[in-house]
Amino acid sequence: MNPLQVVELLLFPGLTFFVWLAFAFEWLDRKTYARMQGRRGPVVTGPFGLLQPVADFFKLASKEEIVPTQSDKFVLRWGPALYFAAPAIGIAFIPILGTQAILYHPLDLLFMLFILAFSTLMAAMLGYASAGRYSTIAIGRLVVQYTSYEVPLILAMITPAVLAGSLSIQGVVVAQGSMWYIVIAPVAFAVFIIAALAELEKPPFDIPSAKTEIVGGWMTEFSGNTLAYVKLTKSLSYVFLSALAVSLFLGGSGGPAISANQNLQSVFYASYFLVKLFAVGFLFFVIKTALARVRIDQATKLFWTIITPLSLAQLAVAILWVFR
Amino acid sequence: MSKKTSRRNVGQAMGEMFRTVLQTPITEKYPFGDKVVTERFRGKLDIDPVKCTGCSICEIVCPAQVITMVPVGKKMIGTREVEIKRPSFELYTCIMCGQCVDDCKFGALTLTRNFELAVFKKESTIMRKALIIGK
Amino acid sequence: MSEDTKPDQRRESSAGLMQYSVESAMPFGPVHPSLKEPEYFKLILEGEKIVQVIPRIGYVHRGIERAAQERTWVKNTYLFERICGICSFAHSLGYTHAVEALTGFEVPKRGRYIRLIVAELERLHSHLLWLGLVGHWAGFDTLFMWVWKDREHILDLEEAITGNRVNKSYSVIGGVRMELPDGIATKIQTELKYIEKRADYYTKLVETEETFTVRTKGVGRITQETARRLCPVGPLLRCTGIARDVRAEDPYAAYDEVPPHVQTSNDGDIASLLTLRLDEIRDSCRMVSEAVEKLPTGPYKVSIPRAVPQGESTFHVEAPRGELFYFVKSGGGSAPERVKVRSSTVANILTATEMLKGHTLADVPIVLTGMDPCFGCMDRISVLDVDKSKEWSIGGEELRIYGIEYYKRKLS
Repeated sequence: MNPLQVVELLLFPGLTFFVWLAFAFEWLDRKTYARMQGRRGPVVTGPFGLLQPVADFFKLASKEEIVPTQSDKFVLRWGPALYFAAPAIGIAFIPILGTQAILYHPLDLLFMLFILAFSTLMAAMLGYASAGRYSTIAIGRLVVQYTSYEVPLILAMITPAVLAGSLSIQGVVVAQGSMWYIVIAPVAFAVFIIAALAELEKPPFDIPSAKTEIVGGWMTEFSGNTLAYVKLTKSLSYVFLSALAVSLFLGGSGGPAISANQNLQSVFYASYFLVKLFAVGFLFFVIKTALARVRIDQATKLFWTIITPLSLAQLAVAILWVFR
Repeated sequence: MSKKTSRRNVGQAMGEMFRTVLQTPITEKYPFGDKVVTERFRGKLDIDPVKCTGCSICEIVCPAQVITMVPVGKKMIGTREVEIKRPSFELYTCIMCGQCVDDCKFGALTLTRNFELAVFKKESTIMRKALIIGK
Repeated sequence: MSEDTKPDQRRESSAGLMQYSVESAMPFGPVHPSLKEPEYFKLILEGEKIVQVIPRIGYVHRGIERAAQERTWVKNTYLFERICGICSFAHSLGYTHAVEALTGFEVPKRGRYIRLIVAELERLHSHLLWLGLVGHWAGFDTLFMWVWKDREHILDLEEAITGNRVNKSYSVIGGVRMELPDGIATKIQTELKYIEKRADYYTKLVETEETFTVRTKGVGRITQETARRLCPVGPLLRCTGIARDVRAEDPYAAYDEVPPHVQTSNDGDIASLLTLRLDEIRDSCRMVSEAVEKLPTGPYKVSIPRAVPQGESTFHVEAPRGELFYFVKSGGGSAPERVKVRSSTVANILTATEMLKGHTLADVPIVLTGMDPCFGCMDRISVLDVDKSKEWSIGGEELRIYGIEYYKRKLS
């Protein structure tokens, strides 16, 4: 790893850039959610309330942390760090400034799958370590929901890999060129969006952290620093899954090459990526606002009876397309 | 993009959502912007010390025991010496019902439209302005 | 379980409780995000399925009936309207009507019409509030925000007429407190047209939005015979198809001249409660609009001397939640001797616990909100025997012994 890679990893387009993107996503989420409901959303902190998520983060970080006496303190101390690390490292594999990502491995799509599984595992561990009645119910629901959405999510992510003939994200982005996979495999995109909503615990699948039933879900017992980082990680997962959707289905940072200058071209590529990223994010926000929460048994039934067969069918179609 | 479920009626709220974005939001930009309350809004109590005669009716009818008549002097009526009283209001107890306003025959009391009643010290809401003019 | 140590009489009478495994009793409340006011519900679960719900009330008991004995008749108007924030005017009406019955004075016609207008406006605001809350507890925050946005129109109207949005202090013994403001008639008609249009949209939305109907259709179903056995009041009764409404059967205020069309719906579940309350919203709009057109001229109140003659009187009104019942006893003095309030939620709470049987924890907030609870209204009772259902009746002493034995078993 050369020093330039380390700087890129930490600053741009690595960790710091993605933390700011997470804040921007949260701002856009709250603003569209509010405006579609006839409210204003954040207005006071910063112009148009842009600094509200930052202010929330620092406010939470400055509060006292109350840890239940019966909780597993070791897990509660190190768990959030691992939970944060999962999407943070995953983002480094997604190409933004063109077709090269900061880190590369020929099988990094599988690593993305591992990261998603690892996130849920850490969430369940954190909920279990909190030793509260509401947390216990919540992680039960979380694990049940996880078993339901995991299979369609994996199938939806494998479909572009099959179409591209490569198991690395860079390979998928390069193979798309100008024919984005959303056109060839729209069902896979739809399945990915739905399964991603379940992964992120957003309506209609926000049962594990259903505020009105089990207080905060598995995040109930967190406060102070832990809660600040857990919330940041949830925003980061939002960005991570949107970035995955963009790379796998919308051509990543591809777009018309306008300038011959390599560096200037990178700026254009980055802006294509950002536009697509916010478009996918906006899609998430709109779906989240429009739907109510379904019960856990209804969600499971939906995933197993409808979504999984659809994604299997789509995968079959994709295989046939490749071998036509 | 169509929702891939066999239920046809998911996302019914979508049309209304986009229509709502185009309307003005219902939330006021308080504390920036105008503060709008209607004409009859019952806010903080106010007394006109000139009109008050110290008849004590407000103290008798107040449901929340906000008003205490305080002696501020003496005067002669004929040959008798009579105490002059004026009201003192503990406005932190006031429920702003308006019964004193209705019952004051001299029109000395009004409920203003001020609703910003938060203070740091409870005692600073005790209104004693009617005690100054004692004659 | 050591059932052989319990006397047979207790086992039979407490069959309902003993049958189920009480290790998985989950407390719901008193402080819980889904309850606006504190109540304690002991949910006895098998896995995630609820088999029994035991309510324990009294957390909002404020001693209002005792406080009423120390305040004069006029001061009590302000006390009783603060029993509840949402049905405040209904309480005010109940009290003032009961006292007017004692004095023998009759409220002039204009006063009665104005009382009807404000009472129906309050019914509108209460039903809209409930609709938003059901949306919120079902996870449909968008519906919640939209409905409460429309509710602001009604609250602004109430503020223009009475001076306050919640504790209106508008009904006095003898009529209403002040005249309607100028130009209010056109304003009311405009807002009512808007509310009716929105009610039509919400009817369409709650009946067709699939993620919402799966939470409400078939959830919390009660049959007509359960309703007859447990005696709920208000919309909870009317949603099973039984058409009982105090405004139609025993008209007060101006309801004899502007009668309500009593709405019912047939399924007894939350979805039918939704359609019923939306129908009631439309009916209330119709009544207010008719009353504003027919508003007679004349005085709006009659002056009544402040000494109320001796006697007892009772009065019932149709609050937004159901039948609200006031009993006032006067000894001829300046303060009432006894005032007793039986509010609607106390009649509905057993039905709500019956509605919950067989459902999961995820349905508890929706079903409890479905009966439109107002625990602030409810905790009026000084002595209550919760266990009035015929299936399981445990007296206080048996419950105490049961509790002791249960914990003895748990610790051994």
